[in-house]
Amino acid sequence: MIDLARVSRQYQMGPTLIKALDDVTVTVKAGEFVAVTGPSGSGKSTLMNIIGCLDQPDAGTYTLNGEPLETLGANRLAEVRNRSIGFIFQTFNLLPRMTALENVEVPLVYGGMRQRERNERAREMLERVGLADRAHHRPNELSGGQRQRVAIARALATQPVILLADEPTGALDTRTGEEVLALFEQLHEEGATIVMVTHEAEVAERAHRSILIRDGRVVDSGDI
Amino acid sequence: MSLMMFENARMSARSIAGNMVRSALTGLGVMIGVAAVIALVALGNGAQKSVEANLQALGANLLIVYSGEPRGTALVRANTANIRPTLTPTDIEMISSLPGDLVNLVSPVSTATGQLKFENRNVSASVTGTTPEYPEVRNFYPVHGTFFSDADVERRGRVIVIGMQVYRDLFPSGADPVGQTVRVNGISFQVTGIMEEKGSLAQDNAVFIPISTFQRSISGAPNVQMISIQAASSEVMYDLQSVIEQELLRLHRLPSMEGADFYVANQMDILSTVQGVTGTFTLLLASIAAISLVVGGIGIMNIMLVSVTERTREIGVRMALGARGRDIMFQFLTEAVILSVSGGTIGVLLGIGSAWFAREIAGTAAVPTAESVILAFGFSVLTGLFFGGYPAWRASQLNPIEALRYE
Repeated sequence: MIDLARVSRQYQMGPTLIKALDDVTVTVKAGEFVAVTGPSGSGKSTLMNIIGCLDQPDAGTYTLNGEPLETLGANRLAEVRNRSIGFIFQTFNLLPRMTALENVEVPLVYGGMRQRERNERAREMLERVGLADRAHHRPNELSGGQRQRVAIARALATQPVILLADEPTGALDTRTGEEVLALFEQLHEEGATIVMVTHEAEVAERAHRSILIRDGRVVDSGDI
Repeated sequence: MSLMMFENARMSARSIAGNMVRSALTGLGVMIGVAAVIALVALGNGAQKSVEANLQALGANLLIVYSGEPRGTALVRANTANIRPTLTPTDIEMISSLPGDLVNLVSPVSTATGQLKFENRNVSASVTGTTPEYPEVRNFYPVHGTFFSDADVERRGRVIVIGMQVYRDLFPSGADPVGQTVRVNGISFQVTGIMEEKGSLAQDNAVFIPISTFQRSISGAPNVQMISIQAASSEVMYDLQSVIEQELLRLHRLPSMEGADFYVANQMDILSTVQGVTGTFTLLLASIAAISLVVGGIGIMNIMLVSVTERTREIGVRMALGARGRDIMFQFLTEAVILSVSGGTIGVLLGIGSAWFAREIAGTAAVPTAESVILAFGFSVLTGLFFGGYPAWRASQLNPIEALRYE
């Protein structure tokens, strides 16, 4: 499903060259629930950005669902993000002036789906995360856990091949964080492929495999 | 694409409504600009129309041959009493004999200052000797009684038509002057009518007598100072002018108009000069107004730049969810255009309203033109596109990773 082979990514920061990723090879199969862990500055965010098609590698290849991505232009990458990747952020990143339902519709708008179909799909997704009754609430009328569930519904909306979660419980208390993780497990059982970046060990343990990154290199790919 | 445009319009409307005060102030800049363009162009246009109307009031398709050296382009000279007459009866005959598809009416005119007396009242007035064609050629008719006839010219009749101001001065009681006898430089004339009031002293403080009587009793010479001519149509005015110039040069044995003893003033010339002047005036007003439209546009640009910065994170999120650069660009462009067009629409109404106000209440001639409305509205769309363009482009060029990290 996700195939990163010998991927490198470096940044120029003032006079120093930072090797954020150095010759990294990662494979995630369809239906896996994988955690990417490591201390801050280890390169896990860069890895996440490359998997999420927000960034491109300097060297190496990236194949997603059989499609090579390392040479795509910005517009095609946007399409891949829209179609194949569902983003879940630490701080939810819902658009404040829109209702939960409209937030879930946003990726469908960019996917070119018609209003009626879009509305139906968004309702379906909210139902799936258990928030059908909150469809017309705005983010500021929802609790943190509810907001993250709306964000998950939004990530699911275009029926992407992977869900990409960046510290999904980082802004939540333990109990609501637990709810979100339970939802991930449920989605995983329904067949979703999930990649979750976290620095919390107990959160990483909920995944079925952990990839540990340190200084831009994969230290442990957690293969069984 | 149309789906995206509709969605963009919806998102923009939401964002504009979410910042109502700011949006209103931003739109205000364009509104004032558009209103100013329409109102000021209407004012300039009104000025032009009223000048044209004044010129038409002098007589339709009017051409005047003056004695003396060319003096600018003034169609009607303020003081003609002291011109030495150089136009001969042969000249008049020549012009009168020109074909009917060139000349409609010909009326020789001479003036002198004279002293009028009725009972114990004395006034000084411009005494004009002319022919019965004069009222039609100069679009200047008697309001009471009649003008004199060809028979009066033939028999050198001592008849007189008096201007409104002369009437008021000589007959302050308002009595009917027709049939009364007034004295001009000591010679008795019988009043046959009163001319309408034109509002200019040159015309209202004048009296009219047959040209033949004028030549015998006032000037004592056969030449006239001016010949007023009504051309057959406005199209032939320039042709007629050159024919008259050539023929008169021949009759006067002169080589060219340079240093000639006559000149021809043409209503079309004046009209185009006046149109040129008022056109420049209108253009000046429009450019001042256009500057305020540009200032309004800069306001839009400013607020859009602020808006892009404020919503950096939103842009990042949208990009992560699959928005392409051009989707982001169109979203902000749509927002800028909606802002400027709503400002422009209110501005159009305001501009037409103030033109109406100027005309109905203040009595100024202000005629809003369809062109200025379309132009101003079109410019408000362009203002939005142009001044919204840079902020929208900046938004579309954001790096999604950095935009997502923006606090």
